[in-house]
Amino acid sequence: MPNYQLVYFNGRGRAELCRLIFHTAGVPFEDIRLDHTKGEWPGEWKAKCPFGQLPILVVDGKVLAQSRAAARYLAREFNLAGKTSWDQARADMFIDEFDDIGTEVVKFAFEKDEAKKAELSAKFYADTLPRHLGYLENLLKENNGGDGYFVGDSLTWAGLGIANVYDLLGGTDAPFAKFPLLLALAKRVRENPKVAEYLKTRAQTSF
Amino acid sequence: MPTYKLIYFNARGYGELARLLFAVAGVPYEDIRVERASWPNEYKAICPFGQMPLLEVDGKILAQSSAIARYLAMEFGMAGKDNWEQARIDMVVDSFGDILQDMRVPYLETDPEKKVQGADGFPGWGWRSGSDHRITLQEALVKQFVGESLPKRLGYLENILKENGGGQGFIVGDSLTWADLGVANSVDYLKLMCPNPFENFPLLAGLVQRVREIPQVAAWIAKRPETAT
Repeated sequence: MPNYQLVYFNGRGRAELCRLIFHTAGVPFEDIRLDHTKGEWPGEWKAKCPFGQLPILVVDGKVLAQSRAAARYLAREFNLAGKTSWDQARADMFIDEFDDIGTEVVKFAFEKDEAKKAELSAKFYADTLPRHLGYLENLLKENNGGDGYFVGDSLTWAGLGIANVYDLLGGTDAPFAKFPLLLALAKRVRENPKVAEYLKTRAQTSF
Repeated sequence: MPTYKLIYFNARGYGELARLLFAVAGVPYEDIRVERASWPNEYKAICPFGQMPLLEVDGKILAQSSAIARYLAMEFGMAGKDNWEQARIDMVVDSFGDILQDMRVPYLETDPEKKVQGADGFPGWGWRSGSDHRITLQEALVKQFVGESLPKRLGYLENILKENGGGQGFIVGDSLTWADLGVANSVDYLKLMCPNPFENFPLLAGLVQRVREIPQVAAWIAKRPETAT
């Protein structure tokens, strides 16, 4: 078994998908969370980061950057990437869409002007998000009626991805009110025994 | 041989990496180009997320440009020899996504005083392009991209290339992958911001040269439609 280290800040952010993959697969890893207020970041880690940024995944001492590349690597190692090359490509497609949603959230999440932040957030929840979730709901439905998974007939990292989006959007059912299949999938994934166990014990963080 | 269709705007944009892969692999495909003025058209309804590019393989559909490129690279044997190399390639390609996000900053200026004027739009990139687009963008933001954020990211890529056996070969592994095509392709959009983006990055510039001299790449570049973006 290789030695795995995942290095990030103390938050879900861009590392949580990797963490979910590790936990779902039941593979142990060192879940390193750096506290920048204690000088742990940049600290000694920044120089090891291929693009000077976190997260990084270290596998037997070899480093991988870029959160999606790391998550895909793990998903493939642990058979959570999709059973065929086509299924893998479809899973990639969903993951990219979740990343697009994340990018939209980041646009207002770090906005310092409170008024502007409220405006951007409102527009996101009223407009942008329902559009994205609508596409996802349709795509889910196209996969055998939508009471299973996004891709094929078993859990892939795409399913973990939507569970992660659930948390990104505040961890409540509300944003999914008009998207019942999607909500059911997110909940199904969160109730997967390995995922549920992780969710019970993981650190509560602000992001 | 499957039947391939690539559906995108009449532009390089987010479709070009797929086109380069088809060209290098010598695999025929239908290169469907939609003029901006006629979008949205009948294809929009079949786009999983309402956007192009779209790849159709024997009638099955794939969206998201990097998922498309990765799928083709895997099919054509240009994706790296094992999971680790595939991941390192993904890492390189994703970093250009970060560069593009930085590049959007001058174009997404919302101050109406500084709003971009331009000839034709480039939907999906959130900005307008025109022959004098650089003049109308806020100069300070362009300078910041060209002078700071771009060289910083290219510096990291130059190191990654150097660490791969000195940097005279490919950026990942020891044969051409879609990461190398991604590097070469980036010059065409970075040139929209500065004339010689890899000027201070000799290894990257060398890689671009080598890729563009591959006969199938050179032939494609010579014959592809000339488009602003």
